[in-house]
Amino acid sequence: MQRPDVRSTSSGLGRALVAIYAVFALSASARSLVQLATKADQAPVAYSLSAVAALVYVAATLGLAEVGPAPRRLAWAAVGFELVGVLTVGTLTVLDPELFPDATVWSAYGQGYGYLPLVLPFLGLAWLIRTRASR
Amino acid sequence: MIDPLQTILIAAALLLAAVTGGYIALDRSPDKVLVALLAVLELALVVQAVVAIVQFARGSDDVGGGITFVGYLLAILLVLPAGLLWSLGERSRGATAVLLVSLLTVAFLVLRLVQLSAAA
Repeated sequence: MQRPDVRSTSSGLGRALVAIYAVFALSASARSLVQLATKADQAPVAYSLSAVAALVYVAATLGLAEVGPAPRRLAWAAVGFELVGVLTVGTLTVLDPELFPDATVWSAYGQGYGYLPLVLPFLGLAWLIRTRASR
Repeated sequence: MIDPLQTILIAAALLLAAVTGGYIALDRSPDKVLVALLAVLELALVVQAVVAIVQFARGSDDVGGGITFVGYLLAILLVLPAGLLWSLGERSRGATAVLLVSLLTVAFLVLRLVQLSAAA
């Protein structure tokens, strides 16, 4: 049962959302580490971007999983950055597919991942708004 | 790579995902039956990891692809236990949905594994 006075970002539906973010955080981090460790010089921009995306997902996961004002601010910042990132990188890669020699998680609005990277920040923002403390 | 095992694993993960979907629809928390089924799937994933790593060790020595391949095999093993722990922390539809997310992730990762070994 959820206590009505506590609006936790990791309760109820938020628990599933945190799980999805955790999957993205782990897979993006692992992918980024492998890219940077084995072929960093081949596509430095794309791989740096992968690393940034990984950090953003880690921050969003932690921010949503922890309860309190500071984690909530972290979640807002991370999910907001994520939305800007996926829209910017998505648009750039659709306009100019040759811009990044290797795909990142945000390329073509996350097409390679069933557009989940595009949907996820909207879910995150909606959840942060919905769990906002009522005054 | 042992393809029948991967097909079975993907089918089993999707089937369990459907069962978990039923639990969510009925607003039932995970019970012993569901946890036992998850344990069986996890065991099958361990078998896959052992068999595939042994096969891989006998075969190629492509280190770059190897790290990814072995990484996938081991990462898959973490998904269900982590999901179950996070899910059992609370009793709610959303918490049960965590298992659904975990199972779909397992199915997706096994699929990627098959693609990886096909590309190699």
